[in-house]
Amino acid sequence: MNDNLANKGLSFDIAGIKKCQKNRYPLLYIDKVENVIPGKFARGIKCFSYNEWFFPAHFKKEPSVPGFIQVEALVQTFLMTFLTLSEYKGKKAMGLSWDKVKFKRTIVPGECLIIESHLVSFKRGIAKGYSVSFVDGKPACSAEFTVVIPSVLSKFNPK
Amino acid sequence: MENLKNYSRVFIESFGIDESKLSSLKYQDIPEWDSVGHMGLVASIEEAFNIEMEIDDIIDFSSFEKGLEIVSKYKISFNE
Repeated sequence: MNDNLANKGLSFDIAGIKKCQKNRYPLLYIDKVENVIPGKFARGIKCFSYNEWFFPAHFKKEPSVPGFIQVEALVQTFLMTFLTLSEYKGKKAMGLSWDKVKFKRTIVPGECLIIESHLVSFKRGIAKGYSVSFVDGKPACSAEFTVVIPSVLSKFNPK
Repeated sequence: MENLKNYSRVFIESFGIDESKLSSLKYQDIPEWDSVGHMGLVASIEEAFNIEMEIDDIIDFSSFEKGLEIVSKYKISFNE
């Protein structure tokens, strides 16, 4: 993490995360978010225990976190970079594009994913940015996102 | 002419539409020009002409032709 972002910003537990975004069990894939600088940055944490519903199926003898769930954790942390702004808190957000998705390692039960999300631009309900993640300090998955807030977009629709 | 070419290019690149269909194109005539496509179009036009449109102008921007009139308000001439 950038040194000037470490140990700064807001923290959200699971109740706080649920106030900001609409994702819920069994599709809420972040446990805690720290160092949130609304409009700029968020650091998400997701710890995977073997009790996760997908491990028995993915895969029976070699359980690992499915790629789509890793990316979902990345985008849910990214949401916290702008849904923590007071005027957008709790609004429905929809993915428009997920680009340059890369997986650098397998994530297994007992490991924690640390996600760092950066908001590059946020204008008229369209958020663009990226997330990178780490397990034990080593790079895991990363992706770039474009996410829209439909209720904001609709204010600009031609009549 | 250069500004008109630039303006047309933004539509062609944003929506993948043939140039011959531009002059009559209106909002929601094609699936690509929906609410999300509209924001992408506006952002591309702002970038192409180095302008920032006001909210009322974004809402009024309902067709290719109407857009010419609106962008002209930002001192971009299409009659060169």
